[in-house]
Amino acid sequence: MITKYNYLFFLSLAVLAFTSCDDKLNILPAQSIAGEVAFSTEANIQNILIGTYSEAGEDESYGGQLQIMADLLGKGDYVTWVGTFLDPRQVANKNMLTDNSFVGGYWNNAYATINQANLVLDNLDVVTSSSEERDRIEGEARFLRGLSYFDLARHFSSGDTGVPLRATGISDYSVDLSSGRASTTEIYDLVISDLQRAAAVLPGSNGIFADQYAAEALLARVYLHQGNYPAARDAADVVIMNSGAALTPTFAEAFNNDENSSEDIFAFQVTSQDGANDLIIHYADEGNGGRGGDIEINDSYASIFEGDDERGSFFVASRQTDARLTAKYTNQFGNIPLIRLAEMYLIRAEANLRESTSVGATPLADINTIRNRSGASSLDEVDVDGILLERVKELAFEGFLIHDIRRTGGSVDGFNADANELVFPIPLSEMDTNPLMSQNPGYN
Amino acid sequence: MKRSLLTVFLLFAAVCIYAQQTIRGTVKDETGEPLIGATLMVVGTTVGTVTDVDGNFTLSPPANSKTLLVTYTGFSNKETPLTNATVYEIALAESSSLLDEVVVIGYGSTSKRFLTDNVAKLSADDIGRVPVSNFQSTFAGKAAGVRVTQVNGKVEAGIVVRVRGAASISAGSDPLYVLDGVPLVNDNESTNGAPVNPLLSLSPSEIESIDILKDASSAAIYGARGANGVVLITTKRGKIGKARMSLNISHGTSTPTNVVEWLNAEEYVELITEASDNAIGLGLGFPSPGFVEGRLDRYSNGTDWRNAEVDTDWTDQVFRDGSQTDVNFSVSGGDQKTIYYFGGAYNDTKGIINGNGLDRKSARTNIKHNFNAKITAGLNLGFSSTSIDRVANDNSFVTPLQAIAQAPISPARLENGDPFVNTVYPNFLLQQDFGSYVTKLRRLTGKAYAEYRFLPSLKFNTDFGYDMSYQTEEQFSGSRTPFNSTNGTAFNSNAIQENYVWANYVTFDRTFGALHNLNVVAGTEFTEATRQFNSVTGTEFPSDDFQTINSAAEITAGSGNLTAYNFMSFFARAQYVFNERYFVKASIRRDGSSRFGSNRRYGTFPAASAGWIVSQENFLNNNPTLSFLKLRVSYGQLGNSEIGNFPSLFLFQGVSYNQRPGIQPTQPGNNDLTWETSTQLDLGVEFGLFDNRISGEIDYYNKDTEGLLFSVPLPGSSGATSINRNIGLLNNQGVEIILNADIISSKGLTWNTSMNVSRNVNEIQSLPNEDSDIISGQNINRVGQQVSAFYMPEYAGVDPANGDALYFINSEGDDARTTTNSIGEANRIVAGNPFPDWTAGLTNTITYKAVSLSFTFQGEWGASIYNGGGRFQSANADWFDNQTVDQLNRWQNPGDITMVPQARLGDGNGVGNSTRWLERADFIRLRNLTLSYDLPSSVLEKVGLDKTQFYLAGVNLLTFTDFTGYDPEARADSGSLSNGQSFYSAPAAKTISFGININF
Repeated sequence: MITKYNYLFFLSLAVLAFTSCDDKLNILPAQSIAGEVAFSTEANIQNILIGTYSEAGEDESYGGQLQIMADLLGKGDYVTWVGTFLDPRQVANKNMLTDNSFVGGYWNNAYATINQANLVLDNLDVVTSSSEERDRIEGEARFLRGLSYFDLARHFSSGDTGVPLRATGISDYSVDLSSGRASTTEIYDLVISDLQRAAAVLPGSNGIFADQYAAEALLARVYLHQGNYPAARDAADVVIMNSGAALTPTFAEAFNNDENSSEDIFAFQVTSQDGANDLIIHYADEGNGGRGGDIEINDSYASIFEGDDERGSFFVASRQTDARLTAKYTNQFGNIPLIRLAEMYLIRAEANLRESTSVGATPLADINTIRNRSGASSLDEVDVDGILLERVKELAFEGFLIHDIRRTGGSVDGFNADANELVFPIPLSEMDTNPLMSQNPGYN
Repeated sequence: MKRSLLTVFLLFAAVCIYAQQTIRGTVKDETGEPLIGATLMVVGTTVGTVTDVDGNFTLSPPANSKTLLVTYTGFSNKETPLTNATVYEIALAESSSLLDEVVVIGYGSTSKRFLTDNVAKLSADDIGRVPVSNFQSTFAGKAAGVRVTQVNGKVEAGIVVRVRGAASISAGSDPLYVLDGVPLVNDNESTNGAPVNPLLSLSPSEIESIDILKDASSAAIYGARGANGVVLITTKRGKIGKARMSLNISHGTSTPTNVVEWLNAEEYVELITEASDNAIGLGLGFPSPGFVEGRLDRYSNGTDWRNAEVDTDWTDQVFRDGSQTDVNFSVSGGDQKTIYYFGGAYNDTKGIINGNGLDRKSARTNIKHNFNAKITAGLNLGFSSTSIDRVANDNSFVTPLQAIAQAPISPARLENGDPFVNTVYPNFLLQQDFGSYVTKLRRLTGKAYAEYRFLPSLKFNTDFGYDMSYQTEEQFSGSRTPFNSTNGTAFNSNAIQENYVWANYVTFDRTFGALHNLNVVAGTEFTEATRQFNSVTGTEFPSDDFQTINSAAEITAGSGNLTAYNFMSFFARAQYVFNERYFVKASIRRDGSSRFGSNRRYGTFPAASAGWIVSQENFLNNNPTLSFLKLRVSYGQLGNSEIGNFPSLFLFQGVSYNQRPGIQPTQPGNNDLTWETSTQLDLGVEFGLFDNRISGEIDYYNKDTEGLLFSVPLPGSSGATSINRNIGLLNNQGVEIILNADIISSKGLTWNTSMNVSRNVNEIQSLPNEDSDIISGQNINRVGQQVSAFYMPEYAGVDPANGDALYFINSEGDDARTTTNSIGEANRIVAGNPFPDWTAGLTNTITYKAVSLSFTFQGEWGASIYNGGGRFQSANADWFDNQTVDQLNRWQNPGDITMVPQARLGDGNGVGNSTRWLERADFIRLRNLTLSYDLPSSVLEKVGLDKTQFYLAGVNLLTFTDFTGYDPEARADSGSLSNGQSFYSAPAAKTISFGININF
């Protein structure tokens, strides 16, 4: 028998339960904010911009793996890869598989950077405090986007088949995300227009972030790669003349710096608390935070130097294996220079030589400036091959080797500049999820 | 005249008295405790009644009634002859029949006989005395359809329990664990990538029984959390009577179940130098002449490797003899008012892997008090503190198992005892000697409850449960540990999870007219869970003698975060039984959770079941052969809400660049994200033959899971690599067969056996984007295939002409079986799956007088394991890693037929991911064995003890398998556990222990 008393009790219990806790089901995460909030204020757009630098500096790209892959592809006899990781060994041997995790990691990271830069550019209207602020933010986002597309094109495009062109940010992932490959020409057009716009709107100096001269310097590198020597020369000249940067007194001072040196046009920042430096991991011994020296410098490289050239002895012996390692990477928390002033001298010299001009200085003078800084003796004359050799002496292990070979039609390890094996495969993860994607020739 | 009147009066009186004779009495159990709600029926009539709160009854049996039948759940039926007496004191004995066992079913209990659901029950006898530190291993092989796998041989290793197959791909697949009605926190809080089993804190000695709810109808009462099954754990409680004390001490030793054979120094040198010569001979450009010799000089520390001066068996460094010591003690007893149980336990396990071990101290108190006839209240409280010495996760270079990759020509230690540093891979002994890693897990679980009985048939329960799991980790890596360049690194973390659960429910249980029984439960439950985590990392220590964060000169990282989730639920269940042979049950639960997207906050989960005990029918009653036959069917819907706390939100989180703050997107959003829904049908037949001497069950189930939570891969070019979606449809169906037999049942010798076999078939039935494949690493989810099937190129062997590794192209058409030596040209195929098709268990118990032998075999067939380490360890000397001995069969001369390609140093000949390292992992294991001897009562009386037993127990004593790796059950513990890969995973431990159990 259920008495009236019992009915009341049960009813009140039910009422209590129903009304008490519905709002308790609305819990917000404590360490994250919702996307809508992220786009709504100027401060947050600035935050996303800083987040984009952090993304670009991850170990999969400018935090080291990208430079390492470029140098392993172009290594010739200069270095030997002796590390245990299988994926960089595939790059060194030029038999990359489509599931190579270094290649796939770089692809995903580059596009994450591009997406975040796009999100900033899409939401610039929220930046209302001043037009200088808006220009600065726009310029920095375009710099990072142009940089990312440039290296994607250099590594993944095959002939005129380029990479997917994403020009706006994606925040709604419920739509169809497949995308085919734009032409290489379209990609380069975007790169150049981004960098030109960045050069036009960025201030002349911007602390550790990208400034007008960083954009000009990157333009110089892009034009050189395309073979547009007059434009490359002029852009490099602008940087050398006006940026206020100066070569460091000795070669060693250009590297392993906790703060940017006078020579850094743009560097990715690394501290003990943030930033990644994978160049240390693979080039340095264990005492310096590396794995013992995965990349050993061979005698073939040391022997290209003569006389008192500081660069010819800029090595250090691994305390684990006694092998010769580069001394460019011994500070575990040192910044990673992306563009040094030295590269600008080399670009100006090469472009001038090819165009038979002497804008800013003669090619010979520029080469000697570089050589004298490192204590090497001045040359009496120089030709294109001489300049290319000087690039190897100055810029080795900074991610230039394969690009110089391919843009000049050279060959490496038995592969010609246009060989399929020197181009990265489109990552398997992209092929599996993007039906409009096509694979590069020579890969399945 | 007067005499006839008197006669008539007497006759009349007699007739009246006889016809209306009212009897009364009390029904109690054998210890004298009254049984409330026991049913009394006059046999052959419909007259009956039920006892009240004091166990009293009154009944008016009709004339000529002969027998009174008394029944009560969990007790044997008793027939009492009706005499002239008016007062009856009836005592019921607890039933030993399987069908009368009490089965706990979520907010209540019932007897197996009346169960319309599929619930597997394990008692303390089934799980007791198994020398393992975690309770989940105790029921491996004992419950049909429940698969228990220990991930690897580390003592803290995760245990994977799957009920009826994998019902999810990305959401959690663990069942819900409920301890005395309180859902337990079951989140792995380890920060190094390898899981720590959070239920390690529960000592098996505290457990009275485990009931596993397997089908929809039983688990639906747990609604959105019941889709993977529910494991109900009931802890021990006291009984009325004098205080009973029990002491159990055991000690055992452990060894690995299997070790794999590696090359010795001479074989290693032969193979590596051959690999180098071949590579040079082929003009591959690497290695340069002299390179290998230089390397071998370094790895051998300058000793004479050409003559195998140093020949280290690294397996000896990795494994050691483990041990296990377990002591537990309990006191229990009670009287009419109060029953109590106090227990304490201590367990010290030294693992079979060098540097791995744990010790656990735990205590429990369960008290229940009857204030008066209506109000009962109680408190269950358990506390445990476990300290685990840990090693690194399987993917880390300093995990001990990776030491098998070291060259045998390298000494493990120098003469002065220091670990040798110039090994091929970092020497894990450096981490052992100069580093430490301790995880402490403290747990407090409790329940305060009260019950108010309005009427014998109506009661109200309120349960307030609390579960706190507090884990701290302290890690120190000294300056001499591998890769340490910051003069030491220390890491500390704290993770605190607290769950509060408050359930209020009303139960109505009444028998009407002796034929109709109705049991109704209805209530609400609210769960609030919070988790707080913080950590700090410090570097730059003055010396290795300083190991705590205070001594770090630089604090380089710190984190602090907070998260929470809530569940709000309403549930109701009603069961109707007619004449103890027809059953109908229905239940419904409505759950709302903060985890679900704002558009799909609440879900309703209904279920129904029905049963018929055919053997009670007249045509089968008293049949000599078929003594019990029951048919049952159940159908219902459940949810799986183990999808993370905020999976539906579009989130940005804080990052830093040069110590300036920024934000980055971390998770694409999806407002429609909600729980996975599982709909299950179960058909079962339970039978008993020859007076239940043989009994068994046959079940067929069909479980559809839809809206699978999936981290769907996105094209990387979109800026994000995955998004959470509810997609697709997964089906699991299968058959479970259980057979129990009392083969011999005489005085002095008994032998009974219990066998369970289950077959599970799972198939993906639909996926998003028009059923397109979802591929992740070596696993694929494809419509028509099993979940996480292996997907990789097919290895074809070796080209006899030149020693190249070959793969089948597997393209469409006639040339499918053509081979190629370029793995990029080989198409991937579905080559196996990580979950078994068949699982079986066989338990035998043989008792002869005072000696008892019980053993359980467990077997699994149909699963495969992919050895992710194969590319390094069985790679025909591709690099300097030590190789398995089968690599000595490498191709050497044209015309050689072999499956091992030519050894070529650094060339990658045959080291792409392929079926070369995919192997079937079928096995049969002798899981538990217990041999015990009870001291005779004559001895016990002299010493003043009750039952005392000596026993010998073993775990994993025998393994029968063709699998060539370490262990057919071990899987990699870093990364997803469902992808079936092993990566230097440690084998399980084989343990033999000796113990004594004393009761007094």
